[in-house]
Amino acid sequence: MLEPSVSSLNPPPLPTVSGPGATVESLLRQPQSLLDALGDATSGRVLGWLGGLATLCLALYGVIVGSFSGHEQYWAAPLKITLGLFLCGLICLPSLYVITCLGGCRAKFGQVVGLLLALHALAGLLLASFGPVAWVFSQSTQSLGGIGTLHVLLWLVATGFGIRMLMAGFRQLETRTLGGVLLWSAIYVVVVLQMSTALRPILGRAPTLLPTEKRFFLQHWANDEPTATPGRL
Amino acid sequence: MSSVAPPNPSSESVLSGPLRSRLPLLLRGEHERIGAWLASASLSHPVWCVAVIMLGAGLYGGAIGLWRAPLQAGFTAIKLPLILLLTALGNTALNALLAPLLGARLTLRQTGLAVLTSFALAAAILGAFSPLVAFEVWTLPEVALTAELGSRFPSSRTLATTASSLRSFSILQLTNVLAVAFAGLAANVRLRQLLAALTGSVPVANRVLLAWLLGNFLLGTQLTWILRPFFGAPTLPVEFLRPNAWEGNFFEAVWANLHHAM
Repeated sequence: MLEPSVSSLNPPPLPTVSGPGATVESLLRQPQSLLDALGDATSGRVLGWLGGLATLCLALYGVIVGSFSGHEQYWAAPLKITLGLFLCGLICLPSLYVITCLGGCRAKFGQVVGLLLALHALAGLLLASFGPVAWVFSQSTQSLGGIGTLHVLLWLVATGFGIRMLMAGFRQLETRTLGGVLLWSAIYVVVVLQMSTALRPILGRAPTLLPTEKRFFLQHWANDEPTATPGRL
Repeated sequence: MSSVAPPNPSSESVLSGPLRSRLPLLLRGEHERIGAWLASASLSHPVWCVAVIMLGAGLYGGAIGLWRAPLQAGFTAIKLPLILLLTALGNTALNALLAPLLGARLTLRQTGLAVLTSFALAAAILGAFSPLVAFEVWTLPEVALTAELGSRFPSSRTLATTASSLRSFSILQLTNVLAVAFAGLAANVRLRQLLAALTGSVPVANRVLLAWLLGNFLLGTQLTWILRPFFGAPTLPVEFLRPNAWEGNFFEAVWANLHHAM
């Protein structure tokens, strides 16, 4: 009578990632099943769903970011946010693969691509769910610095969850030490912040779609010029 | 009566595997497999190492040279792999002599390939960092036009750009130091583990590694001195080699700088 039931000894098999809905479900509840799917024959389709989900969610959040200034930012902000984040992923992908392999990870390159896409998809999903909050603030404040800080904080929270999932994934792939993934995460955050400076204005408005002057992101943030509306983020 | 040793099945299966699978094995430090590559008479491993060095160090060199000019990127993409290959080649005999003197029973082929393999690993890591450096170069303030600095009254705009340009050069240099240090550290940790596996003794592996490091440092720094510039100073023309490439040496320059600083 005290013996555990068979079902508690043998956990139920992980659900298969068979569609966009199941992809969202896996991202939120069962990241292990996502990793299994990335390692089998359906990995191409799973990569597609993750990429599609990330694009959709980031673009949606981009529209909310653009609603602060309106006009051309309704299309420019989603375009810059989506393409910029994918470009950051592309830039950081080789170093992620090398660093995790140095840590003993036995992942295939496709699995690393999948985990990175999953990070973007989960971060995008969380950002999209923050959308109503961000929209309310966008419509009720005139402070570029304030709304910029809010968007950076929301992105950091969303990316933090994405990195947590990434680390769980690499732990499952027999990575001996996760210090390298932490180091890579710091590099990724710096790259995204620098990308936001390189693609400014994302939040405000400016005469040109892209900046005419190159800056390091800390230098840009510390800049006290009262240029006000042209993109702080 | 001569006897022919039977082929080692494990090394055969490793060598028949696709070449691209070598990189993760090397990064993970799977010493049994790497030891089999080093013992094999096949040319596939040295060719693979040379290709990885040319590609990885070439991409990284191109990324850092891009800060000065596209032509400098091309020059540095050639020179950086050249330093690694010439250092490995130039010290092959010395490394092979030092190994048995310090207690490691390694063949000339094993010593040469062990060093080449560790250089390939460092080059692969640098190659993986090259998109980050290229992105940094693309987004940081470019080289300032310094011609106006020669005038008595440079405009405030030029001074501001120059300060910004110097700051970005400092950030780039810092990134370069961190990337090279990380790649060098990872490659030497793996080389030490490989030597320990090959010799069966950690103290011997430590002695051999230290001796090889000293030899490679001596030749590598001088080759770097001769093949300068890599970043390219904004005030000097873009050149493959400086006109005084063969004058002086790295240590004289360090000594002169220290003397100047004091």
